[in-house]
Amino acid sequence: MNTALVAAAPRHVISLRSIAGRIGLLPALLVMLVAGMSAVDAQFYGIINVLNILRNASLLAIVACGQALVIIAGGFDLSVGAVVALASVVTAKTMAATSAAFPGSNGLIIASGVAAGLGCGVVVGLVNGFCVARLKVSGFVVTLGTMSATAGVGLMITNGIPVYGMPELFVKGFGRAQALGLPTAAHVALIVILAMVFAQRRTLFGRYVYAIGGNVDAAVVSGVSIRRHIVGTYVVSSVLAALTGILLTAQVGSGQASFGGDRMMLQSIAAAVIGGVSLRGGVGRIEIVAVSALFLTILGNALNLLHVDSRLQPVFLGVIMVAAVALDELSRRSKPRV
Amino acid sequence: MSDLELTVVTKDTDRPKLALGRRLWNAVLPVALAVLLLGFAAVDHGVLSPANLLNIAQQTSYLALFAMAQTVVILTRGFDLALGPTVSMVSVGSALAMAGATASGHGAAAVLLAGLGAGFALGIACGLFNGVVVALLGVNPFVATLGSYNIAIGIATTLSSGRPVQGVPAPFSQIFYSGSIFGVPAAIAITVAVGAGLHLLLARTVFGRSLYLIGTNPRAAAVAGLPVKRILVATYVLCSGLAALGAIMMTARTGSGEPNLGGALSLQAIAGAVVGGTSLAGGRGGVGTAVLGALFITILSNGMNLTRIDGYVQMVVLGAIVIVGVLLDRLRQERSQ
Repeated sequence: MNTALVAAAPRHVISLRSIAGRIGLLPALLVMLVAGMSAVDAQFYGIINVLNILRNASLLAIVACGQALVIIAGGFDLSVGAVVALASVVTAKTMAATSAAFPGSNGLIIASGVAAGLGCGVVVGLVNGFCVARLKVSGFVVTLGTMSATAGVGLMITNGIPVYGMPELFVKGFGRAQALGLPTAAHVALIVILAMVFAQRRTLFGRYVYAIGGNVDAAVVSGVSIRRHIVGTYVVSSVLAALTGILLTAQVGSGQASFGGDRMMLQSIAAAVIGGVSLRGGVGRIEIVAVSALFLTILGNALNLLHVDSRLQPVFLGVIMVAAVALDELSRRSKPRV
Repeated sequence: MSDLELTVVTKDTDRPKLALGRRLWNAVLPVALAVLLLGFAAVDHGVLSPANLLNIAQQTSYLALFAMAQTVVILTRGFDLALGPTVSMVSVGSALAMAGATASGHGAAAVLLAGLGAGFALGIACGLFNGVVVALLGVNPFVATLGSYNIAIGIATTLSSGRPVQGVPAPFSQIFYSGSIFGVPAAIAITVAVGAGLHLLLARTVFGRSLYLIGTNPRAAAVAGLPVKRILVATYVLCSGLAALGAIMMTARTGSGEPNLGGALSLQAIAGAVVGGTSLAGGRGGVGTAVLGALFITILSNGMNLTRIDGYVQMVVLGAIVIVGVLLDRLRQERSQ
């Protein structure tokens, strides 16, 4: 156990240094973007737009946190978008069924719906983790398979039709509510980010995830139980995706199999990668990933406000992604190897 | 990967038994194919009708082409997530070029050349971008091609305003879709010819063999003096070029340039390659695995359609098949070691 920490330590130092450079870059870009947009368009800092940005950024940040954890451990989770959809549909269906059986008992209805939604996340995460850790199938292929299967189940349950019948309390009192001026999703996202930052820095799980991603062989030799921790990362990722699905459901007021999808999955990977998570594993910080989710959301919002053709917008995202990673790669090359 | 070679050499004594076991494992997928086909035929006799078999062959030829394209880059431990959007972009670009050439009063041959030229130019540009970003800038292939995925989608939908592009001339569809060579439909003939050529390229040329070496052991490839970066760029160009050919064939089939033509094709092509036995770890696979995987997926979805299995259930089955296929392949690999 001790050796694991020692083995992880040098890697940690490197990651700190490379991230120090990045802390300068991403927030600087973010500030420039915000300042520029505020100067150009007063609508940008209007309360409605700010709330809108916060809501979308929170949802993306929650998914991206889970995605980042999986990538840090050296994996991939293509199934997150599909899990968002499945959790949304299952939550809505369960609530509708429970409220038909026990009309009026809001506590029970909401608890059962949320539990069922999160349960979906746990199941998909366990399947992913089991296939990757036990059966040793590549994470890319496994989650490609579960992505298709999960999306299929979501559509099967609903036939593609939105599911209604959730209690008012869940939609108006939770999903669309604002406490302290912030939307519910922002509160949840803050809690998730803080918990993940704590887990990454102060818990064995977090440190072992770095160790596994940094050097699997060293982690094995140091006695880290690889399988359990890899399963853990996939479960966390799927549960966070399910949580996003539930929040989205509460906000919109219906369960829809079209939530999430490929777009959410690709964006979560983009947020993680732009936020400095290395696809080689072992490097990455949740708080930077959250900043990068905020950056991506504001960028999309700015492009909308500037009336950039929505069809052209993916081009910007693509160029920024490649540029961010290429810069990171080049700066790594120019540094002496430790 | 070098372990693999070592174990094979040290276990030289029980080679014959080993070879038999490997042959048995290699037969798993073809046998599964036959069982699948017979199983569907038992439910619906139409499955084995000549018309449907021809239909399957024709459908397979597109997916096989894309799976081959994907296999070329997967051999070098890469992948091309941008394959689907490249297909959309090429489809839109070639249709626009042909519509434009027709409008300005050029002859049929010039119109065809304009379409092919624009299509392949866009495809090769996309491949060059991917190759340069992956090989020269050292960006992970996933991120590089995810970036070009977004860029290509943006270009395809912007060029077409999100609508199908009309004006694909009849001779174009004639040559690449409805025509036939010695009675073989165009799509099948083209795929067979390309597949044979690609097989020769991979199996018999220095370029082809070096792809396998780069995939098995990139360090060894570099130490052996191979121009790894240049080869990688060429690999991505080859992949996108094949995708562009497939896009032209699909455009001829639909008769218009479709901004959504690529859709889920990137992942389908990866699934096809991987189910057929191409290893994502690099260095293993070829034209055979790509065709086998594409055939498997096509027969599965064709059979499920004919036996009226719900489309949503089909998604679940396909997802499970991808995982099981790769799992079987891993077991096969372990056996052969």
